[in-house]
Amino acid sequence: MAAFAQKLSAAMKIFRSSLLAIALVLPTAAGAQRADPVYLEDRFNQLQQSITMLTGQIEQLQYRNQQLQQQLEKMQADYEYRLDQMEKGRGGAGGPRPAGGAAGGGAQAAAPPPPPPAPPAAGGSADQMYHDAMKKLQDGDNAGAERGFKAFLQSNPKHTLAGNAQYWLGESYYARKDYQNAMTAFAEGYKNYKTSPKGPDNLLKLGITLAVMGRKADACQIFSKFSQDYPRAPDLQKRRVDQERQKNGCG
Amino acid sequence: MMKTFKALAAIAAMIVMAACSSQQEAAGPATTTVTPGSIADFRQNVGDRVFFDTDQSTIREDGRQTLARQAEWLKKYGQYKITVEGHCDERGTREYNFALGERRANAARQYLIAQGIPAARINTVSFGKENPDPPGSDEAAWARNRRAVTALQ
Amino acid sequence: MMLPRRSTILGGAALAAGAAAVPARAQLTIDMTRPSFEPVPIAIVDFAGDRVGADIANVVRNDLQNSGLFRSIPPSSFIQRDVNASTPPRFPDWRQIGAAGVVVGEVGQAGGNIKVDFRLWDVVVGQQAAGLSFTSQPANWRRLAHIIADAIYKRVTGEEGYFDTRIAYVGESGPGNARVKRIAIMDQDGANNRYITDGRTIAVTPRFSPTLQEIVYMAFGEDRSSPPRVYLQNVDSGRRELMGNFPGMSFAPRFSPDGTKVVMSIAAEGRTNIYEMDVRGRALRRLTNSSAIDTSPCFSNDGAQIVFNSDRGGTQQLYVMSAGGGGERRISFGEGRYATPVWSPRGDWIAFTKISGSSFGIGVMRPDGGGERMLASGFLVEGPTWAPNGRVLAYFRQQPSSAGRTGAVTLHQVDITGRFERQIPTPTDASDPAWSPLIPQ
Repeated sequence: MAAFAQKLSAAMKIFRSSLLAIALVLPTAAGAQRADPVYLEDRFNQLQQSITMLTGQIEQLQYRNQQLQQQLEKMQADYEYRLDQMEKGRGGAGGPRPAGGAAGGGAQAAAPPPPPPAPPAAGGSADQMYHDAMKKLQDGDNAGAERGFKAFLQSNPKHTLAGNAQYWLGESYYARKDYQNAMTAFAEGYKNYKTSPKGPDNLLKLGITLAVMGRKADACQIFSKFSQDYPRAPDLQKRRVDQERQKNGCG
Repeated sequence: MMKTFKALAAIAAMIVMAACSSQQEAAGPATTTVTPGSIADFRQNVGDRVFFDTDQSTIREDGRQTLARQAEWLKKYGQYKITVEGHCDERGTREYNFALGERRANAARQYLIAQGIPAARINTVSFGKENPDPPGSDEAAWARNRRAVTALQ
Repeated sequence: MMLPRRSTILGGAALAAGAAAVPARAQLTIDMTRPSFEPVPIAIVDFAGDRVGADIANVVRNDLQNSGLFRSIPPSSFIQRDVNASTPPRFPDWRQIGAAGVVVGEVGQAGGNIKVDFRLWDVVVGQQAAGLSFTSQPANWRRLAHIIADAIYKRVTGEEGYFDTRIAYVGESGPGNARVKRIAIMDQDGANNRYITDGRTIAVTPRFSPTLQEIVYMAFGEDRSSPPRVYLQNVDSGRRELMGNFPGMSFAPRFSPDGTKVVMSIAAEGRTNIYEMDVRGRALRRLTNSSAIDTSPCFSNDGAQIVFNSDRGGTQQLYVMSAGGGGERRISFGEGRYATPVWSPRGDWIAFTKISGSSFGIGVMRPDGGGERMLASGFLVEGPTWAPNGRVLAYFRQQPSSAGRTGAVTLHQVDITGRFERQIPTPTDASDPAWSPLIPQ
């Protein structure tokens, strides 16, 4: 978070300095009283240049912002994943179990009965697959991540991380603006892994995807299911749902 | 900020250079006699071209002086139709350079209009990087090629 | 003109399914996407039955060799000399010279036409891998050879071939300050070169219609003061038409994938915007409205989007918008200036020219701007164009001019991995290559 704040403030600095630059480029008030055509021509050109410069900077800032947002989401995912691992007491390097089994209670409030009887061997291979796919997503290799999560889900459909994998599969499409596939992935995630820790995320993102696709009515319907299905979801998520409902004019 | 300073420094340097080069021209061959008001007169005594910085279409200070002289001359000899040709150096892509050449030609045209030449008298055309003068692949040639040439008919 | 027609498929489906089970040094398959591979050694025997058979074999050898994916084994080293088109070759003889595949064929007469049968034998598993038969006018023998090379390429790489295609380009001659530039068309391998403009005025940036029957390009007027314009020319008849008569210059034309529209730039008053023109009705529609330079538009393979370059943000960058205009978003954010974007016929990549510092490069990026990588670079490289299979690019390269000598301008091709690059021979200096789709059969 600190890094994010730092980058943002750096970005704002650039923005401010560019405004200052314009102030320098623009003619002085005294000069503005002259109205000869050459002067007006110059002034027009200077304004045009300022607009161009600003356009470029806004594009760069938007891009940087988008990157930071993605980075943040991935960091969050990574953090959740590590937390999950620790709670399950099988962190890659045999990390210590969190003291007291109840520690996981908060995070998994909505998560009901433990996963089905015969989860696939908890061997490193499934975890490794998940981890590799997540790494690809973090590196921006969305197609690689898509393949990775698909392979993971195919061989480990009942794994405790399957709900997460399904969600990130959806994200890998969403990042590429492949909304059709993203919608399908989130919908499947919601349907098949409703009680997974990622269940609420799947539902929220399904609604957002529908909204992006212009299917506002469907999106609103999905958002309305949220409080119903996940009454104990974190406040942050609830607020996000409210925002989305407002943004899309849901009744 | 740094950029702005650099740009200002560059402009200052250009003004100095322009001063030098016009002195050189003044000291050059003034011996040939040309008919006042002829195309040769325009080219030799007024200067038919202005130059641009890399990727830029802003009229530089040296160019302003040339264009001001051109406008004076063109007001005096109203019989000519004017085509401003925009050109680029070879360090750009072909299609973009057509557009950049047009933008340079237009910048020169607007400057002439602002100096009182009727818009209807001035036409523009862009040659992009298709018509180097002089041909060459060094900075000196490129600087001469980033130009707008006022051609008279 | 009568085009070659595929009449029978002898055994294209008889795939060598057991190939993986047989250990061998060389196999008759290649995965182009692997980071490294050895070219497939292949033996192409002169086709029997007619004098043209040797010529056909030569064209096939050249095509395959020039792709960089095959190594044509010199006929002088062949052991079996009595190989026959209809019976299997003696596989041990071919294994001994290291061939993974053997191509044999026969030319026959059919009325006034020639009939060509060919088979590709998989030496590794000892089976036929492909076989086709074609009939055509004798004059079209080169096309038959290219179609055979395409079939072999497809069988071995799993990708569509690109040999039965043409390349339009700008033929250049004369000194730098009085350069003659005219539009030429040749077969992909350099044969059948011809000029479709006379060189009296400069003509550049040719682009094929999807049927190859028309070319759009930009040409200057006879009068130096008249602006250059976009023309549409019928390749066979030579008839040419002005694409709309409007104030300002028009340039950078390109067909839509369905051939019904042409996008181009129109510059006026220092602004350059992108327009779309209906080829039949000539209705003109403006797609961008910026005060900057928007140019080099190119449709996506599905026709739904357009990629172009613009300097609205201060330097040339790539933007994508929807085909009808609107929804513009910047996709390039690397260091340098990006220009001449071209969408792959497969839709998976956008090729571009990149100018960074004092060097030019040809690169590709994903349509969302990710995965950028450079395939070629030099003093001046420009103008990528895709072969129809979306796996090979052509572009042009210009050497610096010095001491009044104009630097050479040449066409080149490179595969999408950047591994294999070669010069495409042309009779004169050449720029602005435009690779055609596969010639309709």
